[in-house]
Amino acid sequence: MDIIAVESLSKHYGDKKAVDDVGFTVSKGEVFGFLGPNGAGKTTTIKVLTTLVRPTSGNVRVLGHDLRKEAKQIRNKIGVVQQQESYDQNISVEGGLDLYGFLWDVPKQKRAERVEILLKQFGLYEARKTPSLDLSIGQRRRLQVAREFMHDMDLLFLDEPTVGLDSLARRATLDFLKEKVKNGLTIFFTTHILEEAEYLCNRIAVINNGKIVTTDTPQNLKRKFGQSKSVDFKLLEGTSPELVKLIERIDDVNKIVQDVSDGAYHVTTAKPEVVIPMLYQLAARLNLHITSIYIAEPTLEDAFISILQEDKS
Amino acid sequence: MNVMVRLVYRNLRANLDKGSLFFELIFPLFFIFIQGAAVSGIVPPFDIGNGRVVSYSLFLAAGAVTLTVINGGTNAGTQLWFDRRHGMFEQILMGPFTRAQYIFSIIITTLIIGMAASILVFVFALPVLSGISITLQAALLTGFALFLGTIFFGAFAITLSVALKSSEAFQIISTVAFFIFLFTSSVFFPVDRAPGYIQAVSLLNPLTYTTDMFRAGLFDAATTILPLEITTLSIEAAIMFTVAVAAFRRIKV
Ligand SMILES: Nc1ncnc2c1ncn2[C@@H]1O[C@H](COP(=O)(O)OP(=O)(O)O)[C@@H](O)[C@H]1O
Ligand SMILES: [Mg+2]
Repeated sequence: MDIIAVESLSKHYGDKKAVDDVGFTVSKGEVFGFLGPNGAGKTTTIKVLTTLVRPTSGNVRVLGHDLRKEAKQIRNKIGVVQQQESYDQNISVEGGLDLYGFLWDVPKQKRAERVEILLKQFGLYEARKTPSLDLSIGQRRRLQVAREFMHDMDLLFLDEPTVGLDSLARRATLDFLKEKVKNGLTIFFTTHILEEAEYLCNRIAVINNGKIVTTDTPQNLKRKFGQSKSVDFKLLEGTSPELVKLIERIDDVNKIVQDVSDGAYHVTTAKPEVVIPMLYQLAARLNLHITSIYIAEPTLEDAFISILQEDKS
Repeated sequence: MNVMVRLVYRNLRANLDKGSLFFELIFPLFFIFIQGAAVSGIVPPFDIGNGRVVSYSLFLAAGAVTLTVINGGTNAGTQLWFDRRHGMFEQILMGPFTRAQYIFSIIITTLIIGMAASILVFVFALPVLSGISITLQAALLTGFALFLGTIFFGAFAITLSVALKSSEAFQIISTVAFFIFLFTSSVFFPVDRAPGYIQAVSLLNPLTYTTDMFRAGLFDAATTILPLEITTLSIEAAIMFTVAVAAFRRIKV
């Protein structure tokens, strides 16, 4: 049985097609990633799948239950970390964890055990007496993710859970989730950060403008869409807006950006062998000097951008 | 454990902070022990109905108990407001609860806070209220007054918190409404001796009826219009309750 089975699901807000005829399935033990830019329809999809808003049309089954007829049964067995913050402002970290477990009818003894473990796992032990309102954004986010593990569930929805976390906390959170998946949890995960999707997900659906553009494993996505490589070079002169303008006009160049940290230019292209000689010619014409140049392997980010660009054209 | 018990306990925990407790308990006590005592020196005891003559201090003590129901009610609106603003509303609706259970739990919480605070204020006021004897009939009438008053003001605050988006608007409008309800009611003065225009507003004000019912019970001072007052307050509470439920159902997530 599929944990999530979605057929031609749409959600319209007036004229706006927030989710437009999407379909996918998620099987048990999988981490399914929904990857897309802001406004793509990720949160709306989660709101529909978690029974918070009604779909405009489509068939959806979650954990074997019909979304329209058996919403209550679904809600009994899922966990949700919303994109939006959620907390009780006056209640302390440990109080909030405990109270949330209480809401889910978790026995007292079990709650106490889980609170101890989660406080440590999510780096909240020192802050455990602090009221939620006084926490930093990152701490509050960690509390929100940790809190969901106060109760048992078969399926967890995470809507950009790592936003606001520093890289250490982000990695710790992802590793915690991986561990839970090993023990049988299924996760529906949205993000606009590619490394995260690659690190955690078995399969990724790329969503844009309410539509799923493609669904595949991270490896296959890279292979299919990551043809473009990055030609990285530096100028002796540092920066040259004129050169950037000329390079942008080359047909085989997808985009050019300058790295603010070291001043290196990154040129995305499928044909480095064509682009590199032209770079030298254009530089020479402007009397500029290229001091280093090399071809970087495609990243998932490049794959993502080329998928979205193809979708646009 | 029962779903409603869990929700109500959570609401109580989440909303009983020191600030609102102060406002709910200390504020009425000021009226009872300072204003009531002070003004009694210049106002002679007067007839409040059924031939019952009481001092201003007693009169105001009863009013201070009923004004607590507005505070308790406002608490409901504030809770819904914060739950929506801080994402707990959605979070609860994605958990093992229904919308109806959630709003019902807010109403029960309001009743508990409103009634408990009123009773506490009443207990604190006992030194002032000494000498009154409470019959079963009186207990029922005062209890019913507090119940209806809390329902009305709880529903009113829920409606405001749904209708008003910004937190400033909610704060300002609920505070202004609070003072209007308070000062045009019979909490501080007997309405039938006030100027005509104040009487006109008072007769629409549910706090007037709550307070009159409460005093009638407490002091055994029922007037002939008491049944009419009870009916009016019941209708007002029922209408406000319906409006609140309708408003609540329209909340978009
Ligand atoms: N309640 C709503 N009313 C109208 N439009 C909405 C509403 N919620 C979302 N949208 C629109 O739907 C689109 C998808 O939004 P969302 O699902 O939040 O995207 P994402 O989570 O991928 O950033 C956006 O264009 C957004 O403006
Ligand atoms: Mg979103």
